[in-house]
Order: sequence, then C-alpha cells, then structure tokens
Amino acid sequence: MTLPVLLLVLFALLLVGLLAWALRPPAHQARPALDVFEALKQSRHSSRMSHVIQALQPEDTEYLRETGQVALMQTLRRQRRRIALDYLDQLQKEFAMLLEISRVLAVMSPEVIGMEEMERWKLSFIFASTCAFLRWKLRLGLQPFSGFTLLSNMATDIARQLDAATTRVAEAAVQGSEHPALGHKRIDGL
Amino acid sequence: MVEPLQLQTAAWALTTTLELALFVQLVRRKLGRIYPLFFAYLVSAIFQSIAVAALYRMENLDRWTVWKIVWGTQGLVVFLRALAVVELNRRILLRYIGIWALSRKLFLGVAVAVIAYDLVLSKGLWQWLILNGIRGLELAMAAVIVTMLLFARYYRVPVNPLQRALAVGLCLYSTFYVINYSLLERIVQQYAVLWNFLDLFAFMASLLVWISAASRYVPSEELAVPSAIPAELYGKLSSEVNSRLLLLNRQLIQLLHLEDRGQ
Repeated sequence: MTLPVLLLVLFALLLVGLLAWALRPPAHQARPALDVFEALKQSRHSSRMSHVIQALQPEDTEYLRETGQVALMQTLRRQRRRIALDYLDQLQKEFAMLLEISRVLAVMSPEVIGMEEMERWKLSFIFASTCAFLRWKLRLGLQPFSGFTLLSNMATDIARQLDAATTRVAEAAVQGSEHPALGHKRIDGL
Repeated sequence: MVEPLQLQTAAWALTTTLELALFVQLVRRKLGRIYPLFFAYLVSAIFQSIAVAALYRMENLDRWTVWKIVWGTQGLVVFLRALAVVELNRRILLRYIGIWALSRKLFLGVAVAVIAYDLVLSKGLWQWLILNGIRGLELAMAAVIVTMLLFARYYRVPVNPLQRALAVGLCLYSTFYVINYSLLERIVQQYAVLWNFLDLFAFMASLLVWISAASRYVPSEELAVPSAIPAELYGKLSSEVNSRLLLLNRQLIQLLHLEDRGQ
C-alpha cells in the first residue's frame, strides 16, 4: 500500500474519532438565557492584571528574606501563585463568555464574516494552549520574577486599550438596543 | 456447513428487508417529504439491491458487463447519498443563515479537496477513476458530515435525534467503505468474500440506526427559527468581541513571557 492511500485510511480513522468527539454531550451547559449586551457590560477581570503582576513581583516579598522570614516569604509566594491561578481561571471564564457572545451573534446574524470567525478559532486555540501551559508552570512553582516594571507598564497599556475597546462595544450596544430585533429579546436556548 | 455464497445471499436478503423496513418507517412518519433526497437515496438502494440480485442470476451475461452495470448503479446510489448529505446539512444549518453561508463554503472546500486528492491517485486510468472517484465522494461525505457536526457543536446549533442518526449512519458507512476499499480489499484479496460481508454489515448497522431513529421521530423535533440581527450590527459587535479576545490573549502571552524572563 502506498503512502497516499495510507494517508486516506488514516484520514478516515481520524474522521471516525472526530465524529465520536462531536457527538459527545457538551462539557459545559450553555447559559439558559444569555443577553448579549448584559454580558458585554459585565466587569472584566483582565483589567486587574496589573495588581496580579504586582503581587507576583519578587521585590514585593523580598524584604521578608532580608528580615530572616524565609518561610513566611515562601508561604506568601505560594499563596500569591494560587491567587494567580484563580486569576487565570477568571481570565479563561471571561474569554469563554466572549466566545459565547460571538457564537450568539453568529447564530443570529444573516451574514457571518468568515475571517473574523476564523480569527476567533485561532485565538481560542492559542488562548487555551497558553492558559494550560501557564497554569502548569504556576503549579510547578514560579521562579522569582525580574524586570517586572516594564511588563507592568505594558499591562497598564493593555488595560487602557481594553477600556477603549469596551467603550466602542458600549456604543455599539446602545445602537443595537435601539434595534427592535435585539433590544427587547433575550436569546434563549443557548 | 453453509456455503459463503448462501451466506452472501442471506445477507443481501436481510439488507433489502431492512431497507424496506426503513422505507415503510419513512412513509409512515411522512419523513419522505422532509428528507426527499434521503428518501430517493433509499429507493435507489432498494432498486439496486433487486437489480444486482437479478443480474447475478443471469448466467449468460459476461463478467465485464455485470461489473459495468453494478458500478454504474453504485455510482448513482453514491451520488444520491451525496445529495442526501447536502440535504441533511442544509436542513440542520439553513435556519442560521449566516452560519449556513459560511459553512457551505467550508463544506465545498473540504469536499473538493478530498475528491481531488483521491482522483490524483487514479493516475489517469479510467477504471480507477470511477472507483477512486466513488471512494473520494464517500470520504468527502464523511468529512463534510463531521465538519457539519463540529460546526453545530461549536455554535450550539441543535441537532435533533433523527438528524444525528442520519449523520452517524451516513458517516460511519462512508468511512467504513473507504477503509474497506483502500486497505482490506486490496491487501487481503483472499478474504474478499469476508470483506464483502463486512461492507454489508456496515450498511446494515447504518440501516438499523436510521430505522430506530425514524421509528422514534416526533414532529415537534423541528425547532423554531432564531431571532435575527442586522448584518451591520453583527459586524460591529463581532469585531469588538474579537478585539477583546485578542487583548485577553495578548495579556496571557505577556504573562507567559514575563514568567520566562523571570526565570
């Protein structure tokens, strides 16, 4: 049997696997009634990133070593890592919520922009893999950080950008709420 | 001991009986009107079973003529099955106009790529062109069904039990056909009769899945059309959601890089 034919057979087997995966019941039950605009208005955990970064900075706990309280410093760092993990969970939830919103919009729209949907699939994949990687690194124990000041500034920049984006979303939401098709209806069954 | 030929005849008879049972179920539940192309496919499969059985009883026909008739009718049955797959996808996704518009381009791309790849393997020999073309079409159908189900899962598009059963039956039979044709029939020629049986059994399994789902079908399974939003609003909100997703992703990646720098 030649390699191209073997590839066909492997592809057929992959399809059977994907079929079984696609037929599984969903891991998370969808929210019974998701209001797109309400969900968009919800608070964003990502805006608190600078605090988390600050808490993870080694300088924040280094003074404990100088005063001879190494055990306390380690405990504190462990606790902060746990907080960082919780923060990561919240980020992931926020991401999932945004994806849910995008799905609702796509399902309701008479036109779906392929490039934007593809961009979202790509982002979902990158986000999920980065999140898993980071989570494992945090669980295994982070080394003390250095050069946080620069990165903290970057985080502030991002928070600013997020604010700008959210303002635009709010504007779009106001325009949308004026539209009768969406303004008075909740999207059920999602 | 039972002769393989007798077993094959019995399997054919059983398959035709199951096809007729499905036909009766579809007529009883008035599903022929909802899925006319699937119904046409079933009717063609029944006629093919009867025609092939009659053909094998004619002893004066030469093997080459029989081969051409059998594969000619098979081509028609596979073509109708492909139309049934299109019908099923359309039935599930058509209510979501935007999703359907996007998905059909993707389905077409997937189908063309798979068939083209398979046809390249025939190296211009017309006998292989027909056989590989049928295999390509089968694989394309399976790929399109899986893509559709993944799409439906991602966008939380409801798929009722009958649609799910139709998709599973069509997909499993198609993938089994590809594996059987590519791997088993060519490598283990001495077990050709056995693989013929397996092919029939795969089809019987699909028929049983369809009969079971058709007999449990209730008309209320057809779902209401979701409310719509203007395309411009979708475009605006969608790009905003994307920008927020992008920023979240960037944050995460920076957090990761931050950690790398720290180590």
